[in-house]
Amino acid sequence: MRWPDRLAAVSGALLLLAVLVPMGLMLWSLLVQGSGVLSVDFLLEDPSQAGRAGGIAALLISTGWILAVCLLVAVPLGLGCALYLSEQVPAGTRRAQWLGGVLDMLAAVPSIVYGLFGYQFFAISLGLGFSILSGGLALALMVLPLMIRSAEQALRAVPFSYRQAGEALSISRWGWVKRILIPQAAPGIAVGIILSIGRALAETAVLLFTAGYVLRRPDSVMDSGRALSVHIYDLAMNVPGGMARAAATGLVLVAILVILNLLVRRWLRPAQGVLY
Amino acid sequence: MQQKMWGALLCVLAMMGCQPATDKLVITGSSTIAPLMAELAERFEAQTGVQVDVQSGGSGRGISDVRQGLADLGMVSRALKQDEQDLAGHVIARDGIALIVHAENPVAPLTRDQIIAIYTGKLDSWSLLGGADRPITVVHKADGRSTQELFLEHFGLDNDQVRADLVIGENQQGIKAVAGDPYAIGYVSIGTAVYEADHDVPLRLLPLQGVPASLAALEQGDYPLSRELNLVSRGELKRQAKALLDFLADPAQAEIYHAYYFLPATR
Repeated sequence: MRWPDRLAAVSGALLLLAVLVPMGLMLWSLLVQGSGVLSVDFLLEDPSQAGRAGGIAALLISTGWILAVCLLVAVPLGLGCALYLSEQVPAGTRRAQWLGGVLDMLAAVPSIVYGLFGYQFFAISLGLGFSILSGGLALALMVLPLMIRSAEQALRAVPFSYRQAGEALSISRWGWVKRILIPQAAPGIAVGIILSIGRALAETAVLLFTAGYVLRRPDSVMDSGRALSVHIYDLAMNVPGGMARAAATGLVLVAILVILNLLVRRWLRPAQGVLY
Repeated sequence: MQQKMWGALLCVLAMMGCQPATDKLVITGSSTIAPLMAELAERFEAQTGVQVDVQSGGSGRGISDVRQGLADLGMVSRALKQDEQDLAGHVIARDGIALIVHAENPVAPLTRDQIIAIYTGKLDSWSLLGGADRPITVVHKADGRSTQELFLEHFGLDNDQVRADLVIGENQQGIKAVAGDPYAIGYVSIGTAVYEADHDVPLRLLPLQGVPASLAALEQGDYPLSRELNLVSRGELKRQAKALLDFLADPAQAEIYHAYYFLPATR
């Protein structure tokens, strides 16, 4: 290898290391602070004393409910919008650029804005109060742009020749969508859904003012319930002596997100040709 | 598969129809009071079966939520102001604000003028106060925090005059900022500061006007920078809210207040 090439390779590796080291340090500090309280019981017990004692079972349940509401709204809506975009709006047209631009802009809106809107609209105007429903709906608004864009890309990536073949067989529009387009794009759509789940799980700001802080296990979607990310924030910021449990909860959340990312990789593999 | 999905959707719709339980109490506001309130509410719930939802977010939010009818009670960590007389205040506890420095900072007790000089940027090195020759990291609280309002009022400062190196929101953030920087100075709730200092966080509470920042001084009424912790309500109190206020004033709960280093209000 010539020396400029070698230099480039070495400096690239160094840069990579510079990125990996802080991440390693972050995980290490979470481990050091949180390992003392992390145990199976921590996952199975409900919190007490404002989160300073006990575990996170109730929060895992609340987080699951919030996520379920979010996905029940975001997946059908997102898929519908993506289908409209890919079927009715040809790529490269002015309309496609416009709509895509608006979606990208919505995706870039800071999440606290969605949180404040959710608080004003779902909690106050619609009278849903601090509830899992308010939180899930606000969260759905936040992840919709991401969901639509990734599903749209997956749908557009289905080869045009398939469409031609379908038309040659005079297959109906609905038949084409249902039997060929969606199954072909399914891995890509699944990746979009999992990415959205990851984004929703990591979100704090949207939920502070909507789903709220309550530590109890929720009885219905009208109850307020605290998500894992909100728990980390509150323990680290407001509760004296909450840092160990905040770190342990952080580790649990990181573990869930890592598992989700591994799932993305598994889903990606069969989808040869669809790349992200 | 499809049928299952419709079933799930119907379930959700059915749940959406559920009205929130009418005997539920919603309390929102000050992040200083919220952890204490959450624990007291837990006990109240166990005794009476009345659900109490405690939401954090700052005193300002407590007041606006009560005004909008979103909350039954608001947590406000200061006395009510002139333009807040539409609300009724119920003092539940007392707290003070302590100036804190890193445990290794050898600085002597500061005078009122010195503190004002530090926060207005006129005094910018610890060397002038008997410490190392290092610049002072001034930690200040963000607007809308009642701790900040009280601090400014006590020292007769206007927020525009303050030259802060770091503007923070929550108490814990203030603790972390000062514990992590041997040259920082900040101010937080006495309750939080004493708790952390007792749990091996490298902090030192500075006396104010010769009075040590401690619960004992607060109890005797000597500590100059103290505040009341309020629950505010609007209009007629719900029966459950009345029961909760009585519960909070019960001397049997004093140990919980003390666990959070607050003084229960004596009635």
